[in-house]
Amino acid sequence: MNKQELIAKLKIIVKPYTTNFEAYDNLTEKTDFINDLNINSANLVDIILDIEEAFGVVIDNADMERMLDVKTSVEIIETKLAAK
Amino acid sequence: MIGNDVVDISQSRLESNWQRSGFTQKIFTDDEQRCITNTNDPETLIWLLWSMKEAAYKIYNRQTGIRKYIPKKLECTILFKGNTYCIGQVICFDNLYYTKTVITNDSLHTIAVTKLSDFSNVVETDKKLILKNEFGLPYIFDGSKNKHQEVSVSNHGRFEKTVALRMI
Repeated sequence: MNKQELIAKLKIIVKPYTTNFEAYDNLTEKTDFINDLNINSANLVDIILDIEEAFGVVIDNADMERMLDVKTSVEIIETKLAAK
Repeated sequence: MIGNDVVDISQSRLESNWQRSGFTQKIFTDDEQRCITNTNDPETLIWLLWSMKEAAYKIYNRQTGIRKYIPKKLECTILFKGNTYCIGQVICFDNLYYTKTVITNDSLHTIAVTKLSDFSNVVETDKKLILKNEFGLPYIFDGSKNKHQEVSVSNHGRFEKTVALRMI
């Protein structure tokens, strides 16, 4: 899976938790889940659980701490996929 | 210092499924999970602990400038819990925060402070007056005293709460 495909898959995952749809439509690597998409912090854990299910990876606590934006999430998913 | 967090229980039912597999394990410490397993009202306890973590994190973030998703590093202890309020503490690394949560049928509102004596200085304030500093943190400016005062804002569903410590 290349980076663009990965971002596209991640974009589908975050959609149900997003409340700023303009920022969602313009989503880039720089997009922040909380500051830009206005996602409730209690839903970040849902995004992490959804990522685990969709990509078949395990996100540990140290990775979870940094998963506040698209760029970092993509890097973490790429690393996990490469280690499979 | 002060931080707060409000939870609209109806809204949480629309937004979150705390019963999904892995949810509590990712957010709560082993001790907290044990309390959740042993209570007859897990929903209230989950959102109580969550709002304690969020309120304490707002102070931690302001103190350290660190922005991370660290719910398990905010370790909650409940010191007293009645039907309408709860007193607790949250430890985050070397930092200790005290919390007071007001519990109603459809909401939880936690205020966290760094000094116990600050609880008597908490005031609700007008959101219209709020400015933001270069880090995006909210404050109000009191022209008569020529002082900046930090505030904490929380909104969820139908509720919005803005709190500050009274300037002495």
